[in-house]
Amino acid sequence: MNTNLDMLMEYLPFLIPLILLQIGLAIFSAIHVIRHPHYRFGNQVMWLLIVLFLQFIGPLIYFVFGRGDGNGRTN
Amino acid sequence: MNQWIGFFKKEWFESVKTYKLLLVLCIFGFLGVLNPFTAKITPALMENLMPEGTILNLPDPSALDSWMQFYKNVPQLGLVVFILLFSTMMSKELEKGTLIILLTKGLRRSTVITAKFCLALSYWTLALTAAFLITYMYTAFYWDQSGLQHLLFAASCLYIFGILLLAVTLWGNTYFASSYGGILVTFIAIIVLFAASIFPTDVAWNPLELFTVPAKLLTGEAAPSDIWIPYVLSLGLAGCFVWLTVLHFKKKLL
Repeated sequence: MNTNLDMLMEYLPFLIPLILLQIGLAIFSAIHVIRHPHYRFGNQVMWLLIVLFLQFIGPLIYFVFGRGDGNGRTN
Repeated sequence: MNQWIGFFKKEWFESVKTYKLLLVLCIFGFLGVLNPFTAKITPALMENLMPEGTILNLPDPSALDSWMQFYKNVPQLGLVVFILLFSTMMSKELEKGTLIILLTKGLRRSTVITAKFCLALSYWTLALTAAFLITYMYTAFYWDQSGLQHLLFAASCLYIFGILLLAVTLWGNTYFASSYGGILVTFIAIIVLFAASIFPTDVAWNPLELFTVPAKLLTGEAAPSDIWIPYVLSLGLAGCFVWLTVLHFKKKLL
């Protein structure tokens, strides 16, 4: 157990930026999907799944191909 | 020139507002950290996964492993992401017809193409520099990289190949005026290059060499002078494709 913790500490300088970037982008995109409910194709559930579970490629596809135009904001 | 700068600014704002800057920084930052991480963790993982009692003689990871990962990840994931991101740069405006207003007001058609290409180029420069610097810093922190040769030149090979692919995408995107056109043309171009590389030749000419050669450059197996033909050829081809795009766009019906 101790060695595992040591190992984790050793890789922390890598893991923190990796996880931050990955989760951060996924959450940012998910918020965007929810707040702009107009898409070029597909529906909200589909885009949420894509954005949250396809790392990097998901948000990319959403912003390039799926994002609707105009002010689709509901609030 | 004023027109050019104005249009370039418009392109820049558009790319920021459509989250391209964010995506590029996130993805290439991630790639930059990923390379030294993979190099460092692979031996540890292998040791843990092997059944107990197996003796593995894995060499300790070195700076070379980290850079090998760089030349594996960035062309594979990085370039694909990049082409996807910029595959709609012309077709979006052509489909929506937003360019017509600008063009009837006297904007030159060549300005549109060159400004868009320059923007994609600046993004590619930014992306590669970010990934390179991050990998460099991590590698310098963990390992000694004094034994590596031509570090910058090897990266520039990748850079040149990226420029070629961008030019091909721009041409395909303008010619077919659909978002899939650019991707498809780039894909076909790569397949053709692969097919051409099957036939062995005495001199290396294929731009795909720019993918394989960086690893050899680092260890000193290859010298920069070995690949000047693909290097210059890629730059020339990229120039040709941009020129073709301008020619085609000047006659295009909007």
